[in-house]
Amino acid sequence: MRHTLRLSLLAAMLAVSTACVTINIYFPAAAAEKAADRIIDEVWQLREGAAAQPANGERQ
Amino acid sequence: MKIHAMLRAALAALFLAFAGVAAAQGNLEINTPAITALQQSMQQRHAQLAPLYASGAVGLARDGTVALRDASSVPLAQRGQINGLIAAENADRAALYREIARANGHPEWEADVRATFAQRWIDRAQPGWWVQGGGGWVKK
Amino acid sequence: MVAAVRAAAVAIFLACAWGSAAEARSLTVDIGRLTHPQLRAEELQMRLDGAGGAQLRAARLAVEAQAVDAVALECAHLSLVDDRLRCVDGRLEAAGMLLGDALQLAADLARQDLRVDARLAGGGQLTVEVAEAARLRARLEALPLAAVHAYWPQLAQWQVSGSVDGGLELSAAAAQWSVQVRELAFGSADGLQAAEGVALSLQGGGEAAAQGWHWRGALAWTAGEAYLHPLYLTAGARSSANGRMVDGVLHVDALSAHLEGVERIDARGRYDLRAQVLEELALSVSMADLAVIGPRYLAPVLLPAQADGLIFAGHASGGVVIEHGELQAIDLAVDAAGLSLADGALAFGPVSGALPWRAALPTRIVLDVGGGRWQKLALGAFTVDARAHGGEVVLEALRIPLLDGALAFSDLRLQRREDGWHGGGSVVVEPIAMPLLSVALGMPEMAGVLSASLPGLRVDPGEIVLDGALVVSVFDGYLMVTGLRVREPFGVASHLVADIDARNIDLAQLTETFSFGSVSGHVDAHLLGLELVRWRPVRFDARVASSPGRYPRRISQRAVQNIGALGGAGAMAAIQRSLLGFFDSFGYREIGLSCVLRAGVCVMGGLDQRPGGGYALVRGGGIPALNVIGYNRRVDWHELVDRLQRVIASNAAPEIR
Repeated sequence: MRHTLRLSLLAAMLAVSTACVTINIYFPAAAAEKAADRIIDEVWQLREGAAAQPANGERQ
Repeated sequence: MKIHAMLRAALAALFLAFAGVAAAQGNLEINTPAITALQQSMQQRHAQLAPLYASGAVGLARDGTVALRDASSVPLAQRGQINGLIAAENADRAALYREIARANGHPEWEADVRATFAQRWIDRAQPGWWVQGGGGWVKK
Repeated sequence: MVAAVRAAAVAIFLACAWGSAAEARSLTVDIGRLTHPQLRAEELQMRLDGAGGAQLRAARLAVEAQAVDAVALECAHLSLVDDRLRCVDGRLEAAGMLLGDALQLAADLARQDLRVDARLAGGGQLTVEVAEAARLRARLEALPLAAVHAYWPQLAQWQVSGSVDGGLELSAAAAQWSVQVRELAFGSADGLQAAEGVALSLQGGGEAAAQGWHWRGALAWTAGEAYLHPLYLTAGARSSANGRMVDGVLHVDALSAHLEGVERIDARGRYDLRAQVLEELALSVSMADLAVIGPRYLAPVLLPAQADGLIFAGHASGGVVIEHGELQAIDLAVDAAGLSLADGALAFGPVSGALPWRAALPTRIVLDVGGGRWQKLALGAFTVDARAHGGEVVLEALRIPLLDGALAFSDLRLQRREDGWHGGGSVVVEPIAMPLLSVALGMPEMAGVLSASLPGLRVDPGEIVLDGALVVSVFDGYLMVTGLRVREPFGVASHLVADIDARNIDLAQLTETFSFGSVSGHVDAHLLGLELVRWRPVRFDARVASSPGRYPRRISQRAVQNIGALGGAGAMAAIQRSLLGFFDSFGYREIGLSCVLRAGVCVMGGLDQRPGGGYALVRGGGIPALNVIGYNRRVDWHELVDRLQRVIASNAAPEIR
């Protein structure tokens, strides 16, 4: 009986720790890259009219 | 019985893991006012930074920041201003990484967001710009 | 130098020995080793070629710890007549490199004087005269600094250019020296340390004392500019110093410097030249004008990103103590100092007091702050009494008066870490009268009181969390603000996040205050996830609804018209327009309104959904009953605020379309 209890406790701990680790470690790398690219496009003005000099039209 | 319990626990763990994956899949939220404000601020500053990237005075560092790489081509009196420009850009970038992590409900992602951006800034740098690789500064 | 003279005398003695053997075509004399306490020459060899020329070589020549290999002195003509030795058209080499040519040497062995003129290999002219045994005078003219690269390879990467003139007078017990540097320019590879067009003038002297030497010197920077990261400096600084040199330790007994904007700079210290350790340094700066010093020296180091937007005022004095290479103490005293942001968002001053810091001991910081300004709010005078220990600052209590109340911080602990300040504490806002606060913020005067108890103040880089509740009793009800967070407090993304729960707000007072006609009754409101950027809401989920309970519920015709005006041309209001003219006010049963603000658009909702896309904002009841129905679901927030301001400003019945 005690043996079973200990084992199930272990299993529960394992489950909890696995779950926690999974949630903490997971990072949506592909989505983050997409987000980064969208922001970089904006900041460096790479989309539409990349040839146009971004500096000129800028309002201060 | 014991094995059964363990299996169930493992299965539960697996489910939880997948639930996490499924929930976080898709796009990251970047349309918050703070992120937009940072983006605009950086976009305006880019007009001043672009020639410095091109001349090699400022480079894109590995840690997602910009760095003064070689100020030799800049008049002495303006080197301080460039330093201020870099400090302001890096303050915005640090805030941007924090904000993106926060806007998506995971402040602990900040370092990952930073690492992702660092790589993308470097990957997308224009030819002639200087970027920091594992072995130091290289010209793209 | 004395040793060198003696060595020369040995060489000359050997030359004398050769005088009687003039017939030989060539004579080589191996001297072997020559030693002297300060000088050592190895494999010394002299060769005479019979045509009047001579060569003196040493495989290694060492003066104190400095050694040079393969030193050679050649003379095209060497003569010795009546104790007068002459070397004409000589050249000096070391380590296979030419040091100088066109060398003329004349020595009188009887009078023991010597004169050497040489054209140095890299340019420049050197003259050395030795008279009366040990009195030496040397002059160096127009030595190009670029030539120094050849002998000092470490300097090559600094790309030094410019020229140096120097003079030295040396006797057994005294020395005088002067150096003029002209058009000095240098730059490190990364450009972080660089100078251009620099002119320096150094002068000094010394006398032998019972122990070591007493020295004095003066340095003036008369022209040029420099960038020593992150500081940009221009000419104008001067300094003079005196001290001693004992057993390889340089003692600076007194150094004073003049710098624009600073009344006095004094220093003393000890530097062990052999171990290269700063054994002691005490530096003090008196009465620095912060308006001058701040932008030049403080802002680039402390707040480079905001350097352009900082305004400094007042005076500061300070001191630094370094012992055995370690920072031991800093003392800073400020007098009527002021710091403000150019955009006026934040200002402190005048601040007077002392900020001491000790490496190993806790210190007490006491600052009297005369006042301040945060956005539109003026702060009263307060005293900062803090303890600092290492990288931690603890404020047991700090009370900043604000209007008729105060911000009272307690147990505030801040720690400086690599990424910025971390810490926490608690803050209580002592009751502030709303009439004062609302007027100070440029709003219509409101009755009520604001107070807060925020026990969970936490500070991290990029976020200030204020856990607890801020309560404003206003319009007969109250507003409770929770989940307060200030994010990115310094920077463009600065924003405030909070949840607001309002209960039992008296619409009669509210509408009167904002000149919005007259509505009687009470409402509850919930604003979840309210986000303010520069004090303007940019995001929230709001819901306003009539409070439960029995109370009079009337809405005036003006208010109805105003609501209609808010809806704009596209909004349909007041279904019973024909009746409007007959009644001053109408009864209602319920008011309900929701707005989800995202990206500048408010998605509106009301009490219910109606066929045709409408939603009820006011549901009528009593006599005469009135329903207000909105049709615009998506309302531009800025437009809505504009209209609201216009309605309030006009203070007259707006048109209804």
